Formats: sequence, C-alpha cells, structure tokens
Amino acid sequence: MSSQPSRIIHASALKLKIDGSKILRGATLSVDMGERLAIVGANGAGKTTLIRCLLDLTAPDSGSIELNGHPLSQTSRTELAQQIAYVPQQLPERVSFTASEFINMSRYSHSYGTGMNQLDHHGAEALEKAIEQTGISHLRHQSLSTMSGGERQRVNIAAALAQQTPILILDEPTAHLDPKQRELIHKLLSSITENRDITMMVVTHDLNWASSDFDRIIGMRDGQIEIDAQANAFMQKEVLMKVFDTELCLYPHPDSGRAMVLPHSSASPSSAPSPRP
Amino acid sequence: MTERNKFSVLVCMMAFTLLCAIVSPWLGHKLTSFDVIFRPGADDIDAIIFWQIRVPRVLLAMLAGAGLSLGGVVFQALFRNPLATPFTLGVASGASLGVTIAMVTGIHFSLLGLSGTSFAALSGAILSIALVYFIARNSGIISPSTMLLSGVAISFFFSSLILLLQYLSDAGSSFRVLHWLMGDLSRASVDTVLQLVPFVTSGIVIVSVFHRELNLLSITDDIAASRGVNVHRTQKLLFLAVSLMVAGIITFCGPIGFVGIMAPHMCRLVIGENHRFLIPASILFGASFLTLCDTLARNFAAAAEVPVGIITAILGGPFFLWLLFRKKNTAC
Repeated sequence: MSSQPSRIIHASALKLKIDGSKILRGATLSVDMGERLAIVGANGAGKTTLIRCLLDLTAPDSGSIELNGHPLSQTSRTELAQQIAYVPQQLPERVSFTASEFINMSRYSHSYGTGMNQLDHHGAEALEKAIEQTGISHLRHQSLSTMSGGERQRVNIAAALAQQTPILILDEPTAHLDPKQRELIHKLLSSITENRDITMMVVTHDLNWASSDFDRIIGMRDGQIEIDAQANAFMQKEVLMKVFDTELCLYPHPDSGRAMVLPHSSASPSSAPSPRP
Repeated sequence: MTERNKFSVLVCMMAFTLLCAIVSPWLGHKLTSFDVIFRPGADDIDAIIFWQIRVPRVLLAMLAGAGLSLGGVVFQALFRNPLATPFTLGVASGASLGVTIAMVTGIHFSLLGLSGTSFAALSGAILSIALVYFIARNSGIISPSTMLLSGVAISFFFSSLILLLQYLSDAGSSFRVLHWLMGDLSRASVDTVLQLVPFVTSGIVIVSVFHRELNLLSITDDIAASRGVNVHRTQKLLFLAVSLMVAGIITFCGPIGFVGIMAPHMCRLVIGENHRFLIPASILFGASFLTLCDTLARNFAAAAEVPVGIITAILGGPFFLWLLFRKKNTAC
C-alpha cells in the first residue's frame, strides 16, 4: 500500500435504465492513483456500462462521477481524453489505417485546435515510446486490416499508451485471443503499470488473470457492485458464489500461491468415452 | 505508401486537374481559334463561345465534381458505409422535388439573386436533410444504418411524388423536369459559377479543417469520443455543411449521380484512408473526372449534347456493382 493514496475517480450511486431495463442500479466506486483494478461479473451485470459511464460515452440517469475531484459533466472531451485512455474490446476489421497512422490519431487531444499534427511537440516521442513498449515496430507501416487479432490488439493498446494519460481503461482486452497472445498482452499490461504511475481498470471474464495481476477486484451483479475487495480476499468460494451464483473450484497456483479457478472435474473417469476397440 | 509518395501523387493530380481545366474549353464541335484567349470581353462568336459558354462550363464541372466527391468522402466517413453519399440520403431527391414543383407550377420569382427554381431546389434539399436528421434522431441514437435507411425511404417517397407531378403536368414542363433530373451542366454561365463558388469553397474549407476528426469518426464514435472529439457537434456540423454544399451543386447542375461514390473510392485505393490526403485527392479527382465526363458528354453525339449525368451514371452503375463484389471477396 502506498502511504498516501490519492483518489483519482469517484463514482457514486450511478443509475441507468436503457429501454426500460435497469442496467445500473446505484453503482458506487472509487479508484486510487496507481491501482490495478479488475471488474468482473456475469454477462449483463453492467461492467461495460459502468466503464462507459466513466469514459462519458454513456450518461447515467442519476448519480455523479468525479475525476480528480472535478465533476465529469463539467469536463470537456479533450480534458477527459488527456486523463483517460480507452482500449475498446476490438478494433473493427474494416479499418485500413497503418499502425502508426492509427496510433498518431490518439494524440488528437494534445494538439486540439491546432489543426495540424506537427504542432504536437511530444507526439513523435509518444508514438515511438508506445511502439517500443508494445513491441510492434515491425508493424508500423502495416495496415490494421491485414493484421492478426493479437497484432491488432497490441496496436489498440499502443494507441491508448500514446495518449499518455494517467488512467487506462480496457474492455476485455484478451477475450478474442489465443493463449500465447493472451499471455503476451497480460505481460505487456503488467509491465506498463509496474511503476504504478498508470492507473489501470480492466473489464474481464478471466478470473485467473484478475487474481494474479490485479490489486483489487470488483464483482458486479445486476447493475450493482456486489463485492469490492483486494484480489486475495475476492478469490474465495463464497465471494465468487455471491457474484456469479455458481460454485467454482479454487486451487492455489503452484508458483505464486494466488488462487486460481479450475474447471470442475467432470464425472468419474469410467464415464469418459473409451477408445474404440 | 509513404507520406512523401502521397504528396507526389497529390502534385501529379493537381497538374492533371490543371491540364483538364486548360485543355477542355478548346474541345468541342466548333474549335475556336487560339487568339480568343486575348479578348475575354469581345462580342464576336468565337469569344462568346469560349469565354461565356465553355470556360464557365468547365469551371462549373470542376466545382460540382470537387464538391460532389468531397460530399461522398465525408458521408462515407460519418456513416462508415462505402455507399453513403448525400444522394443515398435523399438530398438529391429533395432538391429534385423542389425543382419539379417549381417547374410544374411555373412559379417565377427571384430571391437573394437565386432564381425560383434554384430556390426551390435548395429548399427541397434542406427539407430532406432536416427530415432525415429528425427521423434518425427521434429513433434514438443516430446510428449510421438508421440514417441510411431513412434516406432511402425518403428518396423513394420524393421520387414517387416527382413521378406523380410529372404525370399530372403538361408535356412541356414534364420534359424540362426530366432534362433537369438527368444532371446537366449546359446551363452554365458566369453567374452560376459565381453563385456556386461560395457553396463549394465553404464546404471545402470546413471539411479540410476537420480532417483529423474525420479519421477518428471513420473508425467508431467511441474511439473518436475517447480520443477527445466532440462527436455529436462534429457530426452535425459536417453533415449540415456538406449537405448545403451538395444542395447548392444540385440546384445549379441537377442531380449528377455516382461522382460521390466513384471518386472517393478510386482515391482511397491509391492514396489510402487518411483524410489528410484523401480530402485533397478526392477534390482534385472529382473536379477532373466530372470535367472529362462533361467534355465527353459535349462531344459524344454529333447531333446533340448528352447530359453529363447520363455519362456518370453509365460509368457509375457497373462501378457500384464492382464495389459490392470486391467487398464480398475481401470480407473473409
């Protein structure tokens, strides 16, 4: 724990109804500077809507959000973009900008009103740094539409990094990736936030990732925050039961000792299909 | 393609456009002697043909081509749909309905230097823009597909009204409406060029200022917003600016179709999606493309000139299909 954690986001009593169904029912959440926070919960629990509210992409019906103590409703788009960078779940496949063109676009808020990219003095530097951090220098001039899912996701993250914001919000960044690419992105995100100078919030279904790489886990259920706890306190059978309404099998990781979710052992070995005689 | 190469392509396109502008006025049934260039105000038949008919016509084609092409670029980015143009959204049919009403009823007046017909076209275009926008907004979020579908519905509705009016009117006005609907530059004069200049230049200036916003909006609204773009304000401003520009063009030239689809796509293939290059490239391509089409239209048949809208439509139809099939092949 840092000695004097400063509150960077405070959202209270967020309520939102879309087409008559209550998506958020009074969600309250605080985030401190430098935290790694995972948001988990069943499908439709309101995770994505909650981060959309924090990004001001969706306006809640009631409740308030403060960013560094200032109401989000009074923060302009450019000011917000200088504070929070967003990594959407996927980039559309039809986008055919090159990696460096796409990453450069996230410098928009830093040179807003100047009309020209060239006046963004730290733009080139930020671009290089983001490309280096995500290891995509070989993809620099390649079109996004010709990249694999994993490559495109690294460009997606690089663009958010080039925005150089204190807060990073990611929506299921590894949901569509194969195990190798998933590991790559997990490592990448851990190393980016290693110095605790970036606050990271991630929506994910990957409980094992949440358990091993995050400080705090928030469990959402029915538009509310059901559990808000440190990662090790969260990864308990009873807690997971409350959030997911299903019994999960936990076992400590052989290396880190962190609790991992194991698949239920299927029925007795005898019932497994036997090889053909 | 590197930025340097893109700049070179732009320079070549600029040179080609200039060449079109210089050569086209000399091409026609009656070749004028070269010395007319030194007597712009003279009243001999050669000078009149050159300075008061051909030069304004080439300039009008350039303005209209540039504007229609730019309109396509902006609408395709805003709606993230390769087939979106101010035409597919009903602007052209609104303007056409206005003109049909003015021609059939025979109202004659002039306001702010615009003739009754021009005024009717402009009001029709603005009406259809407002209608599309209103329908889309009241259906919840202004999603690209809602906008496109409302545009298609409005187009059909207006087109049937035009047919009804034509059916009910006498043969003379019916023919004049039909001729206008084909898209024609033969009414070009120094006045029409001067009246169209503010529409097109203001459109070009506004769109050029917003090239970075267009890049972001062409990806997704969420990306644009999270990078700091005021999405709704930008969408509204660009939508209105471009619709007005196109309404102005339709007013003076009739609904010349397909330029707004063809020119931006050809440019995208060559120069890529970055609007910093795509905008100037499309302006230049649109200008030279429509000028060439019109030169062809003027010289197509020995007996009579063909309206340029027919030429662009003949080229545009197959292109449209090619675009659809190409998409299918590259989809997976």
